[in-house]
Parts: sequence; C-alpha cells; structure tokens
Amino acid sequence: MLSLLRSRDSKLGLALPSIVLLLAFFVVPVAMLLMRSVTEPELGLQNYATLVGSWTYLNVFLNTFLISALVTLVTALIAFPMAWALAIMPGRWPAIVLAVILLSMWTNLLARTYAWMVLLQKTGLINRTLQALGVIDQPLQLTNNLIGVTIGMVYIMLPFMILPLLGVIKKIDPMVLQAAALCGATRWQALCKVLLPLSAPGIASGGLMVFVMSLGYFVTPALLGGTSNMMLAELIAQQVQSLVNWGLGGAAAFVLLVITLALYAIQLRFFEPQVSH
Amino acid sequence: MLLTYEKLGAWRWGLAIICVVVCMFLLLPILFICALSFGSSRWLIFPPPGWTLDWYRELFADPRWIGAALTSAKIGLIVTAVSVSLGLLASIALVRGKFKGRSLLRAFFLTPMVLPVVVLAVALYAAFLQLGLNGTLTGFVIAHVVVALPFAVITISGALENFDPAIEDAAVLCGASPWEARFRVTLPSIQHGLFSAAIFSFLISWDEVVLAIFMASPTLQTLPVKVWTTLRQDLTPVIAAASTLLVLLTLALMVAVPLLRKGKKQ
Amino acid sequence: MKSPYLHIKGIRKVFGPIVAADNVELEISEGEFLTFLGPSGSGKSTTLYILAGFQDPTAGDILLKGASLLSTPPHKRNIGMVFQRYTLFPHLSVGENVAFPLKVRRLSAADIDSRVKRALELVRLEGYEDRMPANMSGGQQQRVALARALVYNPPVLLMDEPLSALDKKLREEIQYEIRRIHQQTGVTILYVTHDQEEALRLSDRIAVFNQGKIEQVGTGPQLYASPSTRFVADFIGDSAFLEGVLTEISEQGASIRFADGSAISGVPVHGNAIVGNKAELMLRPERIELSCGVPDGRPSLRVTVEDITFLGNNTTVELSTGWGSKLAVRMHFGHPLISRIARGDALLVRCAPDTAHVFAAG
Repeated sequence: MLSLLRSRDSKLGLALPSIVLLLAFFVVPVAMLLMRSVTEPELGLQNYATLVGSWTYLNVFLNTFLISALVTLVTALIAFPMAWALAIMPGRWPAIVLAVILLSMWTNLLARTYAWMVLLQKTGLINRTLQALGVIDQPLQLTNNLIGVTIGMVYIMLPFMILPLLGVIKKIDPMVLQAAALCGATRWQALCKVLLPLSAPGIASGGLMVFVMSLGYFVTPALLGGTSNMMLAELIAQQVQSLVNWGLGGAAAFVLLVITLALYAIQLRFFEPQVSH
Repeated sequence: MLLTYEKLGAWRWGLAIICVVVCMFLLLPILFICALSFGSSRWLIFPPPGWTLDWYRELFADPRWIGAALTSAKIGLIVTAVSVSLGLLASIALVRGKFKGRSLLRAFFLTPMVLPVVVLAVALYAAFLQLGLNGTLTGFVIAHVVVALPFAVITISGALENFDPAIEDAAVLCGASPWEARFRVTLPSIQHGLFSAAIFSFLISWDEVVLAIFMASPTLQTLPVKVWTTLRQDLTPVIAAASTLLVLLTLALMVAVPLLRKGKKQ
Repeated sequence: MKSPYLHIKGIRKVFGPIVAADNVELEISEGEFLTFLGPSGSGKSTTLYILAGFQDPTAGDILLKGASLLSTPPHKRNIGMVFQRYTLFPHLSVGENVAFPLKVRRLSAADIDSRVKRALELVRLEGYEDRMPANMSGGQQQRVALARALVYNPPVLLMDEPLSALDKKLREEIQYEIRRIHQQTGVTILYVTHDQEEALRLSDRIAVFNQGKIEQVGTGPQLYASPSTRFVADFIGDSAFLEGVLTEISEQGASIRFADGSAISGVPVHGNAIVGNKAELMLRPERIELSCGVPDGRPSLRVTVEDITFLGNNTTVELSTGWGSKLAVRMHFGHPLISRIARGDALLVRCAPDTAHVFAAG
C-alpha cells in the first residue's frame, strides 16, 4: 500500500550525515592507518615481515589465539548448562537468574575487572581463603598471568554466550527430547545425541562471537595479564602510544582487522546473525 | 525429557548447583567490591578490620574524580543527542527510503560494532593528531558517536519497522499536515525505540574505556580514564567507592527502564 | 441539470505498462451509499486512493460539490477514511484518537469534548474514552476508527474493505452498524469490497469494477436481474453459462442454438451481437424450472441429473446438458419434484426468456 507521506523521494539524503560521519571518522582513519603500515618507516611490507619473523611478536599472536580459544572453551562449558537450566527452570527463577546476568553484563567493565584484581591479588580473598582452609601454604600468583586473564575474560564473556544460547535452546521443541526418551535413550544418550547437536549452532555461533571479541579485547587482558602473555590489542596500543611506531602498530592493527572481518564473514555465512536483520 | 523440568530426575540438582555456583560467581565480585568500599583496610583486606566512609569522602573531595565524572556526563549527553538524531535520520532512510543497496547501507552502519575498538582507537588517534582533536571535547564526542551510532540505528529502525505507515496516512487524512503527522503521531509511536537508543548511547559513552584512553589528555579525562590511570598505579579503595557508585547507577537504570516502559504503556 | 454532489470524471491511472484505472466515470448523489465491487486488482482501491489523495491520477478529475479535489493537498481534503488495518494511533487513548482531527483543526476544548462524546455514542462506544487501542478487540477498534473518521462531519466517507480482517459474525454485526450510522448521519459513503453479499447488504448502488473499468453501475436488483456484461452476471449471484451460437437477433431479443440442437429465443442480448457468432446463455439456478414433462412449446433444454445435494433450505441439483455443459437448479425445501428425481434421470429445464441473458463473445 502506498503512503501519503512516503512520497517520491528516495530519502537517501537523510542518511547522508551518518554516512559522512562514518566515512570521515571511521573508514578514512582506518584506511590511513593501514597505509602507514606499508609506508612507515619506508614503503614496503617490512612491518608485516617483522611481525611474522620476530619471535616476540609471533608470541603475542600465539598468546592472543590461545587465550581467546581457552576463554571460548571455558565460557562454552559453563554457558551451555546455564542456558539449559535457564530454559527449563520453573516459576520466577529464570527472571531472577536473568537479572543477575544482566546486572553483571551492564555493570561497568572497569569496576568488574578491578573486582577481580582485588580478589585475585596475593593478599586477596581467594588466596586467604585457600590458605585458611589449609589447601595451600603460600599464596598463589593469580594475577598478571594466564589464570587471571582467563578468569577475568570468562567473567566478562559469559553473558554474551549465555543469552544467545538461551534463545537457541528455548526454540528446541521439548517433545523432541520426550521422543528420544520414548525411543529408549538414556539421559546421557539424549544429551549427546539430541540436545547437544540441536544446540550446536547456538554454541558455534556464540563461541565464534566470544572468540572474535576476545581476540581484540584490551582492558581485561591489560589489567589482569602479565607482560609475558601480552595480547594483540595491548601490543597495538603499546606500539602506538609508548613507542610511536606507527608502522608496526598499524600492521598489527591491520592483521587484527582482517582476522576479525574474516571470522565475521564466516559467522554471516554459516549462521543467521541476530543483529543484521 | 531433558527439556522438561519435571522429568529430569537427579540431573535437576546438577543443573541447579551449576546455576547457583555461576550466579554466585557473577554476583560475588560486584558485592565484594561494594562491601570493600566501606571497609577501612587500605589494602583491601577482606573481611575489613573496620567500616568507614573515608573512601567516599576522598572520592567526592578530589576535584579530579568529580571533574572526570562531570566530563563523562557532559560527553555522554552530547553523544546521546547526536547519536539519536543521526540514528533517527539514518533509520528513516533505511526503513522508508527508496534506493538501491539499502541492506548494504545497513551493514555499513553496523560495522563499527563489529570491529575491535582498539583498531578504531588507534586510527582515530592518528587522525586526530593531524586535526588537533586529541584531548578535545569534540574529539571525544566524535569517537563515541561512531561506536554508539550502530546501536541507535538498530533500536530505532526496529521500532520504525514495527510502525505501520498507514497510521501516518490516517493522521494526514484526519487533517494533519505531513509534518504535523510525523511529530504528533510517528515520533510518539516510536518513542520506546528512541528512548532505548538514548539509554544505549549514553551507557556506551559513559562506560567506554579504550577510545577514551587514546582521546584523553591530562586536562580532559572521562571517568573510565581516571579509573584506568589510577588502577595502573595502585588498587586504592577509592576505586572501590567509584565502582560501587557505578554499580548503583546500573541498578538504578535496570529498575527504572522497565518501570518507565510500563508507565508509558498505561 | 443539477451537477452531482461527487463527480469522478474520467479518472485514469497508469503505472508504466499497467493500466490500474481506465476512464472511471461516476456521479454520486449526496447521502448515497455507493460500493465499488470487484476482484483484487480491478481498480476499485486505486480509484479510492486517488480520491483520498494517496495518488495523483494520470488523467481525469474529481469534483466535490463542483470544486476540484485534486488541487487540494490530502490533509486539507476533509475526507473521512477507514482502512482494513485499523490504523488507530497506538500512543493515544480512544478519546484522544477521536479528538485528534478536531485538535488539528484547533477547535475549543469544550467543543472537542462534546463532539468526541457524540461520535463515540454514534458507534456505541460511549464511556470508552480512556481505553487504549491495544486493549480493544478488532471490532471495537474499527468502530473507533469510524468515530474518528466521522467526528469532523466530512462530506464523504471512504471505506477500504474495513471488515475483511474480522470473522463472519462480527462482520455482519458491524455491517448492520454501518447501515444504521449511514441512515443516522446521512453521510455520503464510498465503500470498497470484493464481497458481493456485503455490497448487496449495504449499498444504495453498486459499481462493479473489472480490470480498471466500471462494467456496470446500478442497484442490487438491477445488477442481479439485468446484468449488462458477462462479468457482472458472473460476479453477482450464482450463474451458469451455456455456450452456443446466435441464430437470430430482433426487437424481442436473440435466439441462441446449442450443440444438441435445442434453442431458446427471445432472450435479452448484450455485447457485440452478430448472427452466426458464438455467445453464452446465462441462467440462474433459482430462476429455472425442472420438469419431467414433455416439451410443450416453451423453450426448454434436455438435461440429465448428475447429483442431488440437500442444503437445508434448498436442494441443489447438478445437471448436464445434451452436449456436456454443466448447470445447476436450486429448489426450495418442500418442492414436490425433489422426492421424485434420482441420479441419471432425463429431465427438462425451462425458463422464462426474460430471466435469462445472452452475452456475445468477443
């Protein structure tokens, strides 16, 4: 049906301010950064060669991938039973648990990371509890290392995986699982052969999202990680801010950008994104 | 029967335990920090030897903390206004426009959401060095609008898509001029979308860390930057006080938003 | 000659190669209830939308009380309209919805209140001022839309299939309400529908649309008893068409002969009638007579009974002619013949020639 007000004009002009803003302050600066990666200190791909050739930088890439993968795995392991429980809990419980998850998700990132810095420090609650219980004699090093980063990142990423997964599991018809029971499947069999495969798209899609986010994450790894497990984001920041090495920083940024875009493209190709439509 | 609560049997307890543990995991750090902000231990020992409001006094007495909060608020409000306005215009073009490549344009608007913020931060930092916009209010606002705009576009275009254009036509037939119809009928009908976009934009700007670190100067800092620089030096409980206030802000919003929604529906 | 209240003058609308409305010409009197009837895509909605101002016509004009409507922007045309989708303003209450056109016209608050009250009384929704549209049923929402369209006393009320979204019983209730409101207010109504029963129930006159053109305008009885085209004969009421050849055309009507040799003459003929060309005879099931008797000189056709169906207040008998065409006869409950016929019987069908029509092909 035609609209009185939806007249002949295309209305493209209305989008113009936004387009100009994004072009000027998003596309162009990023493109310029990429340019610098191949022009500083001189024209060529030396920066990329450095990144790949030198062990220090390669280490950072490796770290980033490993930590992201670890975080994704742990998050998935926790998120699945959580989403499952949320999908079937009776009464008011789902609302309460959801409120807890949302509170965690919406609370300031720095506040949450700070909380873990305090909890995990040598004189922090975790160590003191473990010592009081007699589990350990000496306080454990829980910050500025892999453990701290993983705990912190999992804490941040959990809501991002639980919520979409909850949506997927809710869409599964409970009758399918009833049918499995009628066919004679035990609970373990039903879990492995029916529930998990049906949830797999949600797990994969959520996992991919968490992985991509972890790859580029800055705040939590910088605060809870140590220099030996520096991640890409911090490398980029360090190169640019402290060392004013635009060429190398730009190259690292470009690599992160390409990987992110590639994974996003895979996400779009294989999974229905909740966001774009 | 795995998806039917009544038929789970013993597994019910397994899931329940996991649920409780994870909820505690999610909640404890937040509660912990709130408790510690009132504790008298400088080294954040828990349980604290005594209780005090000193950290809050220090927080409110320090002009740099207050200044940072005010800066964050100021930037947040400007970003909200710009983001919602641009988002509204862009949404109208996307939902009601008649040109080729609308889905492409929509994907373009959503890209800042997808890419790692650090890449954008570094790129803008370089660009602003040329333009002299680092450490300026304008620079901050621009950077934050870039990351807030996708959320505004999503929420507003969602609300606009659910609005039947025939209602606007009915308003014109009732005698309203096209502009009158837009302001008296269309905009009020999508107000929940505009409201959500405003809340999102403000929160994104208020909580934003990475861009802020790059855009900041010693004289112009947002609250997250102040927290970040302080954190790099030591874990003073003043941060716990600031964090508690931030948690309270989140809680207030979580309670206020659905209440406001209900109020408007009535 | 008095000029008509509403004159749709030669309206033509093309979209590229598609002709949505082709030379639509109608004169409507004040207070008349005229229905545009036709299948979807027939041009009825297009014409209505041009009246409302959704579209500009490619050619033609619309004159309301002698003045051209097309030069007025849509929001100044002062026309009421009710749509299929209720289009109530979701953020306003019922009272505010109905008050909206008055607020836009800057009437005084007291004036607005009394008019809103009267409008809601008219649609039998008094007291509903503070309800929100979302909390009301489809039928109630449509009544609010009607009140909103009438509150500013428009000279013309347009209704675009307003009842299609409602279930049958509700539809009949609101049809009754619309008739009552029309009688009470005397407003001129243009109504669009594809449902012939609805058109017959509500209208003073009906304009039958087909492929952008008006095939015929008339009252219900006129269209039923004297359809001027095959389309109208087919669209209104039940009909059967028997193909044959024109053998004679005269003052009294035409003669048409069928493949098995039988013929009927003296039938009103329409269209480009040329002797020797193909034509169709239209018969209505309730206007033909079934009989076992021998031909007695009255025009008749030999038929065989294919099926007998009891439908409560009537019984329908499916028949096939000598040359294989199908038609049906409807007999009221209690007709003496029903119990005496069976499948396979050879019978005669008779009709009064002036109750049938012949439509020339081409």
